[in-house]
Amino acid sequence: MASRVGSRLAGTAIAVFLAFAVCAVLILLVGANPLEAYAAMLEGSVGGIAALTTTGVRMTPLLLAGLGVAISFRAGVFNIGAEGQLYLGAIGATIVGLMPLGMPSWIHVPLALLGGIVGGAIWAAIPGYLLAYRGISEVVVTLMLNYVGIYLASYLVDTESGPLGERGASYSQSAQIQTVARLPALVAGTSLHLGLVIGLVLAVALWAMIRWTPFGFRLRMIGANPIAARYAGVRVGNQIVAVMALSGGLAGLAGAVEVIGLRYRLYENFSPGYGYDAIAVALLANSHPLGVVLAAGFFGALQAGANRMQQTVNIETSLVFIIQALTVIFVIAAPKVGRFTFPRRGAGTPIEEARGEAVHAG
Amino acid sequence: MPVDAKFWFDWIEASIRLATPLVLVAMGGVFAERSGVFNIGMEGMMLTGAFVAVTGSYYTDNVLLAAVTAMLAGGVLSLVHAYVTITRRANQIISGAAINLFALGLTNFLYRALLGSAGRKRVEGFPQWKIPVLGDIPVVGPLLFDQSVIAYVAYVAPLVFAWVLFRTTWGLNVRAVGEYPLAADTAGVSVPRVRYLSVFLSGMMAGLGGAALALGAVRYFTPGMTAGRGFIVLGAIIFGKWNPVPVALACLFFGAADAFQLRAQTFGFEIPHQFLLMLPYLLTIAAMVGFIGRTRQPESLGIPYDGQGSSA
Repeated sequence: MASRVGSRLAGTAIAVFLAFAVCAVLILLVGANPLEAYAAMLEGSVGGIAALTTTGVRMTPLLLAGLGVAISFRAGVFNIGAEGQLYLGAIGATIVGLMPLGMPSWIHVPLALLGGIVGGAIWAAIPGYLLAYRGISEVVVTLMLNYVGIYLASYLVDTESGPLGERGASYSQSAQIQTVARLPALVAGTSLHLGLVIGLVLAVALWAMIRWTPFGFRLRMIGANPIAARYAGVRVGNQIVAVMALSGGLAGLAGAVEVIGLRYRLYENFSPGYGYDAIAVALLANSHPLGVVLAAGFFGALQAGANRMQQTVNIETSLVFIIQALTVIFVIAAPKVGRFTFPRRGAGTPIEEARGEAVHAG
Repeated sequence: MPVDAKFWFDWIEASIRLATPLVLVAMGGVFAERSGVFNIGMEGMMLTGAFVAVTGSYYTDNVLLAAVTAMLAGGVLSLVHAYVTITRRANQIISGAAINLFALGLTNFLYRALLGSAGRKRVEGFPQWKIPVLGDIPVVGPLLFDQSVIAYVAYVAPLVFAWVLFRTTWGLNVRAVGEYPLAADTAGVSVPRVRYLSVFLSGMMAGLGGAALALGAVRYFTPGMTAGRGFIVLGAIIFGKWNPVPVALACLFFGAADAFQLRAQTFGFEIPHQFLLMLPYLLTIAAMVGFIGRTRQPESLGIPYDGQGSSA
């Protein structure tokens, strides 16, 4: 066990190194010094309290959404719609956060978070239902719902016609949420908020859930072999919908804490692709909740360092997305060391058969 | 805007224009999926193709060269997908998602580095060409045969791809490998070889589709300009039941939806424009929900082949 984790970490370290090496060439090509660029990145991500809090802020949505994606992967379901679920979560939290409930913070904040969880869970339960009971590829549906979710948020905060939109604002945004609905800061005077702690606690809780609870056992079962799971009495369809709802709820929570912890408003297009990065996070973590913490921390640091890099050596921040993607590609392309153990399911194989219905009949 | 003859004419014309990139991408996608490999990375390959085409056209003013380079760029990316999923047998969805992230990051980065100062300067695009005789037919002529040259490629491609898929040995191999790789293997067909070539083809067609998108009408590049079109194609492939001609018609349907939402925005409908923007994506889901049960996908789609037939 320990050696397996060790070899995985070693494999990932090599992949990270290779990704940085390739990007060094890109930096050279645009006429800058890679060492200077990477030094700036390091400085901006872990060089001091301010940098570390920035890393924590960027890490938070990646952690929560990454946990959501990882949970779905463990069950052999490909929820790649975290981006849309994150928007629905932000919408849910904003709606609750804007309400003048007259409640104390310790009630209003959890309610807003719940609003986010519900929003994301519904958005993911739709493709979950379609997969479980209609045999429709969750991959395409979750991808399509990403765009629908983003446009739904844009509509809601439209400054002219949106129900949540702030009239006359120069950018499409909602009004500010109630002060009592805001998550407290972790470090006074910085934007690091309680969302990070929520994410860390949930990572441990999910790890324990997968390992020790009946729900976690069923989740692993349908991931490993849905047909066997069905013969063992697992209601595979219900389990898929439940897993998708949980997965989307976590992504929704990521959107919720962005609103009530960081921005205090819902903005149009507020996510720079956290939901897509979350796929890479889950993958790098081999879908292990504790691994997600490490991977989200790494990606958060990259994104935090990117701004400093842009300021000092004028390298586009999009470079870090190349680093992220290359890391993932190198990990999955690597021979044996750190190979991923995915349930080898394509649409049209066990899960559909396991439902015991003739979906493809005709 | 009144609903008159001109409205219909413009709408159909725009539908063809907007469907052209989708058709090209979809044809390659059909082959990849028929051979048993999902390629959700086509979105990223298309985006890369769009970027390379605009950059190529910007520096050389040669549209043909730009389009060929775009195809090669898409092809190179698809080889990464092929290696990861066929040789290393990694998960196809994950590999495709990673390639999409890579393409988005790379094109953003290079856009600022290479085209940043040029801004949105319009580059040389695919020329419009009126086909002699056919173009002179009333109504139909100007509608169908006075288009951009790339649209004609999209007219012909479904027929060619259908012919190759159903009437040639190579097409038979592709279908065999996708349905029952062990049997194909036993019969002496190299499963990896067929899959590599099919995935490579899907990458090249995605690159060409990107070129069609960027050099067709707008003639400039914007980061993320494919906006999920590569994903919509995946829906069209299901909708069209993995058959090139029906898939192309499905693409035309989505192109028409796209053209409708553009028109409806200027139409003064009571519907907020964001809902119109959702239309192509919602229709993709609706098409899948409505038509599933009557479709049957290639049997080994999504499953890596390990040479032992233990995959099913």
